Amino acid sequence: MRDDPTVVALVTRAARGDPAAWDGIVERYVPLVWSICARFQLNNSDREDVSQSVWLLLVEQVGKLREPAALPGWLATTTYRECLRVVTTARKTERLGTGLDDALQFVDHTMIDEEILMAERNAALRAAFAELPPRCQRLLAMLTSDPPCSYAEISATLDIPVGSIGPKRARCLERMRKSPALAGLNDADFRWTEDDHHA
Amino acid sequence: MPDSWDDDELLGALSEALRARQAVPAWFVETGKNAYAWHNIDAELAQLTYDSSRDQDTVAAMRSEVASIRALTFTSPQLSLELEVASNSLLGQIVPPRGGTLEVHTTAGVTSSQVDEIGCFSVDPIPSSPFRLRCRMEDGTDVLTGWITL
Repeated sequence: MRDDPTVVALVTRAARGDPAAWDGIVERYVPLVWSICARFQLNNSDREDVSQSVWLLLVEQVGKLREPAALPGWLATTTYRECLRVVTTARKTERLGTGLDDALQFVDHTMIDEEILMAERNAALRAAFAELPPRCQRLLAMLTSDPPCSYAEISATLDIPVGSIGPKRARCLERMRKSPALAGLNDADFRWTEDDHHA
Repeated sequence: MPDSWDDDELLGALSEALRARQAVPAWFVETGKNAYAWHNIDAELAQLTYDSSRDQDTVAAMRSEVASIRALTFTSPQLSLELEVASNSLLGQIVPPRGGTLEVHTTAGVTSSQVDEIGCFSVDPIPSSPFRLRCRMEDGTDVLTGWITL
């Protein structure tokens, strides 16, 4: 993955004390932290514990990251580590043994890499979406909702003829495709989606 | 981005990206945002320089009867903070000894207690969430530990 200039700018500004930049970092990467917690099947209280630790550690590190572009990797690894800490602490209480140091020998690098790749791709797609005009955002949001909205519903809600939904959809997607936010994604990032639904 | 993405693929990928963000509850996001309150605290940082639980084998072999008491040391250029973890309280001492105030910071707030003139203090009960200790000494020294989870 390329060095995303957005991430570099956010990290630099957050390190200098800009709270909006910090919120931007959290908004961008909170799904990554959440997703790794989900892989560990942590309950909400443990997820809160992990989230606190990860972001508090980042507050201290944000001015020291030598390569701001390495942030997603740092976040994924730190989250993974904190999840292991929570899990092994619980196991110790249940007298099942296995300390954190033992567990860390089996760090699942493949899983971490997958999570980073997915987080970066999703963040880029959300950034490209956010740059679209509101009418495109509304249309694409309805088209991607779960369960999907029918063309009749879309037509009624957005007050556009059913016949123009298809062409508008194509134009909005074309606009998104040209977004600089997606410039760094390559074929490999995309192909990977095809089998990431197992998670 | 690849030109090979057709409309359906792009829409599918977008759908997945939006859903990944929607799946995250607001409280989880807030935890992350609130952490920034800790940015640039104007105190000297004390590093964890000793943790008995990381040297368990040595401690157990030498003094098995006290191996269950966890000891931690935080060090800054100005002072050291020695902590012993008892069953539900923390006993600590500032070295070199001096009096002042000890603050326990959690993400929920701050509580403070007295450090006596020989540098001793206690924290009771031990916070259940991550916390850090800030020593504001009478001589003006202001030292903050890293985050502690016990």
